Amino acid sequence: MRPFVRLTGPVAPAVLVVAAVAGWLATTSAQQPERSTGFKQLLSEINAPGIDRGLRDADAPRPAPTRSSRWVIDARGAEYLRDSLIVRFRPGTLPGTQRALLAQVDASPGPTLSYADFAVVALADGADPVQAAARLAAQPDVEYAQPRYRARPLFVPNDPLYSRQWNFPQIDLERAWDINRGGSSSVTVAVVDSGIAYRSATLRYTGVAWRRDDGVNFPALGTVDVPFAAAPDLGTDRYVSPRDFIWDDNLPVDLAGHGTHVAGTIGQLTNNGSGAAGMAFNVKLMPVKVADNEWDEIFNSPFVGTDDTVARGIRYAADNGAKVINLSLGRDSRDGEGPAPVVRSAIEYAVAHGAFVAVAGGNEALDGNPAERYAEFAPQIDGMVAVGATGPDRRRAVYSNVGSHIELVAPGGDFARAGATGGILQQTLDLDLTETFAGPVSRYTAPRFDVFAYFYFEGSSMATAHVSGLAALLVSQGLTDPAAIEAILKQSATDLGTPGRDNEYGYGLINGRAALRGMGVAR
Amino acid sequence: MTHFGRSVRLAVVVCATLAMLPSTAAAQARTPPPRPAPEPTVRVRAFGEVGARTFTASKSFEAVLGSRSGVVFGGGADVLVGRNLFVSVGISRFQKDGERVAVANGEAFPIGIDTTISIVPIEVSAGWRFTKPRRTVIPYLGGGLGWHRYKETSDFATSDEDVQFTKTGFQLLGGAEWRASRWLGVAGEAAWMSVPNAFDGGATSAAAAFGEDDLGGAVFRVKAVIGR
Repeated sequence: MRPFVRLTGPVAPAVLVVAAVAGWLATTSAQQPERSTGFKQLLSEINAPGIDRGLRDADAPRPAPTRSSRWVIDARGAEYLRDSLIVRFRPGTLPGTQRALLAQVDASPGPTLSYADFAVVALADGADPVQAAARLAAQPDVEYAQPRYRARPLFVPNDPLYSRQWNFPQIDLERAWDINRGGSSSVTVAVVDSGIAYRSATLRYTGVAWRRDDGVNFPALGTVDVPFAAAPDLGTDRYVSPRDFIWDDNLPVDLAGHGTHVAGTIGQLTNNGSGAAGMAFNVKLMPVKVADNEWDEIFNSPFVGTDDTVARGIRYAADNGAKVINLSLGRDSRDGEGPAPVVRSAIEYAVAHGAFVAVAGGNEALDGNPAERYAEFAPQIDGMVAVGATGPDRRRAVYSNVGSHIELVAPGGDFARAGATGGILQQTLDLDLTETFAGPVSRYTAPRFDVFAYFYFEGSSMATAHVSGLAALLVSQGLTDPAAIEAILKQSATDLGTPGRDNEYGYGLINGRAALRGMGVAR
Repeated sequence: MTHFGRSVRLAVVVCATLAMLPSTAAAQARTPPPRPAPEPTVRVRAFGEVGARTFTASKSFEAVLGSRSGVVFGGGADVLVGRNLFVSVGISRFQKDGERVAVANGEAFPIGIDTTISIVPIEVSAGWRFTKPRRTVIPYLGGGLGWHRYKETSDFATSDEDVQFTKTGFQLLGGAEWRASRWLGVAGEAAWMSVPNAFDGGATSAAAAFGEDDLGGAVFRVKAVIGR
């Protein structure tokens, strides 16, 4: 049993982009009638590189944003300026007539605006913009009048690495966030995986002698004190019921980086001006460790990641309130491995207890496309889906398994076609400091799990996390039945490949906007 | 109580009120009635109506609106040609609020987004009135074409996500009109409408999930007719 991930090297240091907003600000200020405004001056087209301050957990809490008193929010939630409104007089209306009409609603002419065939007029204190606009609009010399409602852009996170996350626009997530921005903290998503970098700690291990797959022998490290920290871009106060089935304790720290990356896609802190974005950034995360890696082996963990371990983790998640279970794990039949009824039974148990389960569809399309033992029974269980992967070009990733078990596809990355930035970018452990066993013996040292970086990963693991993230948004929306979640994900998917369901794309590419909108009678 | 039930009660009240009107006229009939003026060949009358509508796409409407029926209000005019032939033009309106859904295994699950559906049919019908001398209750049958304007709006929707279309269908109708007085009549009418292939907007719809595509249905309505 292994995580379904492919990995490239670390991302080059993120380039900080200073957005040019001068034009927008100038336009905005020009629209304020009879009001003193500030000014700005472009001093230079270039700026010094940004400074990465690293962990910000020592900073004082940010004050809550304040709102200008110029804005009115009425009982229905409409937001508009209280001191002015928009009006267009019919052609030929004399200025004197215009002034007289404006005076009737305690308004006065404003400055002439560029790129406008209308006027923005000032209202006296106490005048109601809605009523004034209605009275003006009723005049025969007025073509239209309206309050100055606030326009909002579609939600685009301000996380500086968001522009590299091609995967979210691919599934129309920005418009989905307009319906449900990040989900609810009452929803828990279990990441049944290699653990999550979810807390600070220093843990003492004993490293035994170890033999790598290629035959290289590594000496025993002896007793080592290993530092851990919570991934900064995942936050620290959103974890519930952590459980480690590899070490049989409640400290499911991530020694591999896979689970932390998957958790990032589901719930990376978003719109916090830092790092990358995640899909359901308000939900709770449940770290459930069922997959071991090299360090667990070197440190001689009491259990390993086998079918029974996975099954226990799934049942634990269901029993502890998870509404979505992400299973970016699997194994295949290449070496004659048989089915996994114990995992199937656990998934049926979880679905029966109200948890939706997303399972990776497999990464072995180029290695014989064997049967995936965890994903293969997805079509028989309403409330469980098997997920294939797409690249930035919306084509099936070259490695993504094909078969009757594939029900949906989601962005998983495709380095082969799109290069090193064609993967899914999230924060995880700094692999330079954890995978010391990957190089020569001379560089083999104890790892540290308190340093983080943003890495592009590819795999159906990453695709599965997208489905889990979207499912979490659906649950937050009030759709809690696992079968209904599966149904709406399929019905709202963007059909790719052969029309209708096919073995490459299943029912198609998940569509966040369409899924969250649900269905009316006609559309 | 359902809208249908309220509608029936309203119809009963209207009928009972109108039934009392002729008694005054009867009390005054002490002298031989004046010879009635000959009826014009073409008579135009106006009517208002209230009724209940059920939908052929019952599962879809029940999923989204919580009910497969609702109240309709409307009005129109009809033209009587001679004693038996009539042509009527009517417009009515149905509107109801509901919630968008996900559909799984034939069951609907609300998804927390409010939606409003309105339907405005314009019906042009022609038919035959089975009149007889001294008959105060006149049965009639007819049929015709209808143009059904359908609009479905919801929270968070952009203009391309809301739905608005007009589809053509046909209707068959039958009823009976009771002449309460010389200028006032009350009719009870049932109509069956079919608007085939109305819901063909794609797979992501309750209509598609339930395999329903007809916007038609049955209408039971009470009309107050003003005119001879």
